[in-house]
Amino acid sequence: MIGPDQAPEAAADDARNDAREQAAGDATDQSLQAGDDRPVVLATHGLTKRFGKLLAVDHLDLAVCRGDVFGFLGPNGAGKTTTIRMIFGLIFPTSGYAEVADHRVPGQRVAALRHLGGFVEVPAFYPNMSARRNLRLIGSAGGEVNEQRISEVLDMVGLLARGDTKVGGFSHGMKQRLGIANALLGRPDVIILDEPTSGLDPQGMKDVRELVRELGKSGTTVLLSSHLLHEVEQVCNRAVIINRGRTVIEGPVATLRPREEAVKVMTGDQQKAFETARALFGAQGVSWDEGYLVVRAGDEGVPELVRRLVADGVAVRAVVPAVEQGLEDYFLELTQSSDVDADRGERAAESGTAADVADAATRPPAGETRG
Amino acid sequence: MRSLWRELLKILFQRRTYVGWAGLLAVPLLIVLALDLSSSKPGAGEGPPFFAAIINNGIFVPLAAIGALSFFLFPLIASMAGAYPLAGEAELGTMKTWMSRPVGRAGVLFSKWGVAVLYVAVGMALVGLGGLAAGWLVFGIHPLTTLSGTTIGIGAGVERIVLANLLILTALLCTISLALLVSTLSNSSLTAAISAMVVFVVLNILNGFSYFDFMKPYTFTSYNLAFTNLFRDPIYWQPIRNALLTYGVTVAVLLVASWLIFRRKDILT
Repeated sequence: MIGPDQAPEAAADDARNDAREQAAGDATDQSLQAGDDRPVVLATHGLTKRFGKLLAVDHLDLAVCRGDVFGFLGPNGAGKTTTIRMIFGLIFPTSGYAEVADHRVPGQRVAALRHLGGFVEVPAFYPNMSARRNLRLIGSAGGEVNEQRISEVLDMVGLLARGDTKVGGFSHGMKQRLGIANALLGRPDVIILDEPTSGLDPQGMKDVRELVRELGKSGTTVLLSSHLLHEVEQVCNRAVIINRGRTVIEGPVATLRPREEAVKVMTGDQQKAFETARALFGAQGVSWDEGYLVVRAGDEGVPELVRRLVADGVAVRAVVPAVEQGLEDYFLELTQSSDVDADRGERAAESGTAADVADAATRPPAGETRG
Repeated sequence: MRSLWRELLKILFQRRTYVGWAGLLAVPLLIVLALDLSSSKPGAGEGPPFFAAIINNGIFVPLAAIGALSFFLFPLIASMAGAYPLAGEAELGTMKTWMSRPVGRAGVLFSKWGVAVLYVAVGMALVGLGGLAAGWLVFGIHPLTTLSGTTIGIGAGVERIVLANLLILTALLCTISLALLVSTLSNSSLTAAISAMVVFVVLNILNGFSYFDFMKPYTFTSYNLAFTNLFRDPIYWQPIRNALLTYGVTVAVLLVASWLIFRRKDILT
C-alpha cells in the first residue's frame, strides 16, 4: 500500500530490523547460494555486454533467491540498466546468460518473461489510453487480465481514482507508480524495478519504498536497482554493488555497511570538542560536516568521547549516528576508485570497512546525486 | 490473431490513423465534386485514366481515385502505416514496455506488418466504397464499357474494381514492407516513412528513363498502372502476373531482411 496514512514508521522499522537480522544471520555465508536453501529465482551467469569498445557489463554473476528484496546498486553508468535489459531479453548479451525461474534468457525468453514483471528505466505507456486500458492491453500480452486485479494494483499504487485518465497527462511520479502497478499485475515470481524512486519527490520516494517493503513482506521477490545506498539499506535484505559492469561487493545488506560507524556530535564548544576527539582518535578520525563534528569511532569510542567531553565541561547537545554520511562515503569509496577489480572487491567484502575516510569532509555532503 | 488485434488497438488510439483514413475518403468525394461542378468536362482519353468516363458512369469513380492515389497518397499512407507500428513505439518508449512482456519477436514484427496492411486495406475500402457511393449518387451507375470497347454488367464491373484494389494493395505491400524494414533499423518513424517514400519516388523517376529500362521488370514501381489491364475484355493477365511476381519477391525479400534484423535487435527505448 502506498500513501501517507499507511503502516506506521515503527512497524516498518521493525520489518527493516527483522530483515537486517535475517541478513546478518546469513552474513557468515560468503557465497549467496551456499548455505541458503531458498531456490534461486533470478540469476545471471557470466553476463557480459560490450558496446563497441565499452565493456558495459563484465562477467556479472548474480543470484537472487525467492523472497529476496535484492538491492542492485551502482553509480549511474555502472551497467545496472544494461544488465536489467539483458535479463528482460531486450538486448542480447555478448556472452553469458540470465536465468529466470529456470528459463534462460535470451534462449527461452518468452517462457522466462512469464515469470517476470517490472520495468527498465522510466516506465512508458500509450499516452492516449487510460491507465486502466494500458494495463489491460499490456497485461493481455501475458495472458488473461482480470478487471478486478487491475483495480487492485491501481489501488496498491494509489492510482485507483485516476484509472480512467489518459496516461499522457500523468506526472513522472504517476507514471513511475503505474509502472509498478504494471509490474505487479500478473503476479510474477520476480519483479524488477529500475530506479523506481528516481525523479520522485520525497513523499513519492517514501511511498515507493514503503510499497517495496510491503512486497518484500508478502514474499514477492524484488530486484531493486538504485544508485542510493541508504535506499537499498532501508528496503532490501541483500544487495550487490557493481561498478563498470563488475561486482564490487555483494552480500546481506548488513555486511555492506562500514563496520566503523561515524557519529555526528554537536556541543557547546565545538573547537574544544574537536581537540578532545582528535586526541582520542587521531586526525584521521575527526572531520567537519556543516557545523557538526563527524567522529569515526568504534562502539566503545563514543561513550569514552562523551565521558571526556563531560569531564572537560563541554556541554554535549547531540550525538547522532551519521549513517547516511558513512554509507554514502563508503559507496563513493567503493565505486570511485579507478582500479576496481575483483580482488579489491573481495578484500572490501572481507574487511567490510571504509579504509580511507580522511577526505570525507572535503567532499560535498553525501546525498542523492540525482533526482 | 490476438496479437494483431492488440496492434490494431494501439493504432486506433492514434489520431494520425484517422487523418489518413479521412484523407483517403476525401479523394473520391472531391473527384466527384470537381467533375460535377466543373463546366469543362475532360474529353475522352484526356486526363488520368478513367477520369473522362466518370461523367457518364459513376462506377469509374473508385477506379479514377485509385489511379490518382497510387502515385502519391497511397504510397505515402503505406509508408506511414509500415513505419509507425514499430518505430512509433520506439519513439513513445513503449517498445521496451511491450517487449518486456512474454511476446515472441516474430509475432510482434509480423503482427505489426499485418496491422499496417490492414490499415491500408481499410483505407482502400474507404476509397472504393466512398467513390462508388458518390459516383452512384451524382452520375448513376451503369454497365461498364471496358478499354476494349465491350460492355460488362454492373456486377462483373464491381468484381473487377475489387480485383484492381487487391492488385494495388499488393503493390502497396512493397512500400509497407520497405517502411517496416527501415523501421527495424531506425527508431524514428519519420525516417522510416520518408525513406520508403524516397525509394518509391526515386524508382518512379528512374522508370521514366529508357536508359533504366533494363531494371523495369524488377522494380515494383513500374507496375503502378498494371491494374488497367483488368478492364480489358478479356482480362489481359500477362502484365498482372508479372506485377504479382515482382511484388511477391520484393515483399518476401524485405520481410526476411526485416526479420533477420529485428530478431537480434537491441531494444533500448
